Amino acid sequence: MNPFNRYLKTIWQIFKKDIRVEWRGRQGIPVMLVFALLIVFLFNFALQLSPDLQAELAAGLLWVALAFASTLGLNRSIASERENNALDGLLLAPVDRSAIFFGKSLSNFVFTFLVALILLPVFSVFYNQNMLNLRLIFIILLGLGSYTSLGTLLAVLSIQTRARDVLLPVLLFPLALPILIAAVESSRLVLGSHPVSDYQSWLFLLIAGNILFIGVGLLFFETILEE
Amino acid sequence: MSERFPSEPFSIEISNLVKHYHHQNVLDHLQLTIKRGDLCVLVGDNGAGKTTLLRILASLIRPDQGEIRLINNTENENSSYRGKIGYLGHQSMFYNDLTAAENLRHYAELYQIPNAQEAAEASIQSVELTGFKDNLVRTFSRGMQQRLSIARALLHHPSILLFDEPYTGLDQKAANFLDAQLRNLHQPDKIILVAAHRPQRMLSFATHIAWLQKGKISHHIPIDQISDFPDLEDYLRGTV
Repeated sequence: MNPFNRYLKTIWQIFKKDIRVEWRGRQGIPVMLVFALLIVFLFNFALQLSPDLQAELAAGLLWVALAFASTLGLNRSIASERENNALDGLLLAPVDRSAIFFGKSLSNFVFTFLVALILLPVFSVFYNQNMLNLRLIFIILLGLGSYTSLGTLLAVLSIQTRARDVLLPVLLFPLALPILIAAVESSRLVLGSHPVSDYQSWLFLLIAGNILFIGVGLLFFETILEE
Repeated sequence: MSERFPSEPFSIEISNLVKHYHHQNVLDHLQLTIKRGDLCVLVGDNGAGKTTLLRILASLIRPDQGEIRLINNTENENSSYRGKIGYLGHQSMFYNDLTAAENLRHYAELYQIPNAQEAAEASIQSVELTGFKDNLVRTFSRGMQQRLSIARALLHHPSILLFDEPYTGLDQKAANFLDAQLRNLHQPDKIILVAAHRPQRMLSFATHIAWLQKGKISHHIPIDQISDFPDLEDYLRGTV
């Protein structure tokens, strides 16, 4: 098998393992979903927004729900590697260690994206917005791609510290702020039926975020893993 | 294992290994050479650095200085080195929500073992856990997890075996099982290094003993020469 296929196969094997662990334990997606739905309900009933304000705030609330739910998922994902030191098992394998980063990032991304897909119709009902919009879904793909790749990197970094349970959000939220702002702004403009030219700079920022965080993961994941 | 004997390391040579933790020298210019066919017991007090040494050898942590060389082979900076290592650590490295067979299959796939499913099942059979292969690992006792860990460490037929305190938490039956496994594994083409806080039970079948003190290997001698070193003999007597 050529090295590139081998690399892809390793990513797939780690992704497959994460799916199986999630299917058995059901501790990631359900928790993320319940948490995200709670945010939707709480804000809806607490704020009692007028329809105009709902339209303005829906994008921001969607990303608050996704960011917090994703962080929960990242914590859970890395907890399964911490349990019994399973991460060492991955590190011992004769594979390129950056493939572990991509495998873990992929599973974190897919889990969060699934939560987003379930969340969108609920948002549509509560905030009187058509959230099942392909452009919005594309922005969610871009936003979650960079958020979960950065999150995976930081989750692995935090696993090696004593303050591991609180360190992830403390590191992740400030570093992901530009991505979240870009995601909120572009989502808001999409929901307001603005033309692409109005939000293309935000899209470029999201694309740059994906390239940056995937690149950083590729270059530094192994260094982070080796204490 | 098609690439067995000629490419297997003749010896593992550790030179000038240094590792600090929190400004404390855990390993201090440590030197050690272990030859193919050796079963070496690494002894030392708690905190002497046995685990650190084994984790560096397994390429789980990076030393601050020094190098590890496989004679007849390359350094430990690449993934092919890791493919030669079988490491048994303090924890099982298994996913509690997967079955024994699923866990081993996952590792077999990562090690590119052909017919991963069959290899996993054969490995489970070798540690006499066939009846439990479809049970979740979270339901396993410490002894069963340790047996399964041995199966994991040997799944890819490694030529260098690093076992860190493998007897910890095992009852007499499980410890006897581990003795038998180590005796079977002691082959001319393998290098075995076992860190043990209480090494007495291994002295009957190990070939060498290495004593780690103050970050250095103070003694590295064949087992039958222990009586020539009264300080080591006293130390071993104290570990009973």
